[in-house]
Amino acid sequence: MRIFALAFALLLMGGIHSALMAQPTGLVLGNKSPEIKLTTTKGDTITLSSLKGKLVLIDFWGTWCAPCVEEQVDLARLYKKYKLASFTNGKGFEIYGVALEAKKPNWETFITKNKINWIQVSDLKFWRSPVAKAYNIQELPFNVLIDGKGVILAKNLHGKELEMEIGKNLIK
Amino acid sequence: MKTKSLTFLLLLVVTSVFATTEFSCQGQSDPWTPQQLLAPADLAKVLNNPKAAQPIIYSIGMQAIVKGSIDIGPAMRAENLNTLKQKLGKLPKNSQIVVYCGCCPFSRCPNVRPAMELLKSMQFTNYKLLNLPQNVKVDWIDKGYPMSE
Repeated sequence: MRIFALAFALLLMGGIHSALMAQPTGLVLGNKSPEIKLTTTKGDTITLSSLKGKLVLIDFWGTWCAPCVEEQVDLARLYKKYKLASFTNGKGFEIYGVALEAKKPNWETFITKNKINWIQVSDLKFWRSPVAKAYNIQELPFNVLIDGKGVILAKNLHGKELEMEIGKNLIK
Repeated sequence: MKTKSLTFLLLLVVTSVFATTEFSCQGQSDPWTPQQLLAPADLAKVLNNPKAAQPIIYSIGMQAIVKGSIDIGPAMRAENLNTLKQKLGKLPKNSQIVVYCGCCPFSRCPNVRPAMELLKSMQFTNYKLLNLPQNVKVDWIDKGYPMSE
């Protein structure tokens, strides 16, 4: 009986310990952002977790989405401005562009033509992408800002609101 | 007093004229009637019933997601619209046809209007637009309706 009680107590302690240690994953502010593993136009795989240590904007977009295309200009400006900046919770700023594309040529041409110099990945599954499901995307554009530990700081901020949120994390 | 009443009347007339104009413009911008919108649940029911008469479904957007649909490509592009025109040219005018895009809400979709206008101009009598008000993910995929392989 004593042994059982001891085993139970140990199990309980272990459970509490892991619950305290592990950051829950999910799309709630303060939670860890779900992992993404997608490929670039050249076929290289880049995981979201490989950007650990940086402030990252996960930008869900598509060349067929007019407001997303418009926003790329602003993202280029933000990328240039904050790329090498230091933040309270990350060193450097990166954009992880997830394109909900169906075919590679449109996407590739857009990147080249608009000189997009941040990370661009896609599974070319358009709205059937498992990532769209994992991030519960309802419409585009959609984005998630995460800190150096992959923790969600903000969701779906655009324009001035997005820049203010990035600015809030700057080391001045 | 008379002048005030007259001004008020004039304003009322002008406002109502503007309101009517705007309303009719909105109506004109959509080349389909509410009756031509096909509810996703209704199409899913037909697709799941092999005994039901199956419509010819054209994907006029980025990807043919709906089961059995024919991939035309975005109808905003002249070459794709031409492909659709050629395919339609071989069909009887009373064929049961469904078109869909589903990239984004109808108000922002560049593909549904050219396709619906083409069907109208070719004088088809039995064509519908799949009603995906948000997009094909929210209104079709997430609902678990039949998808292509």
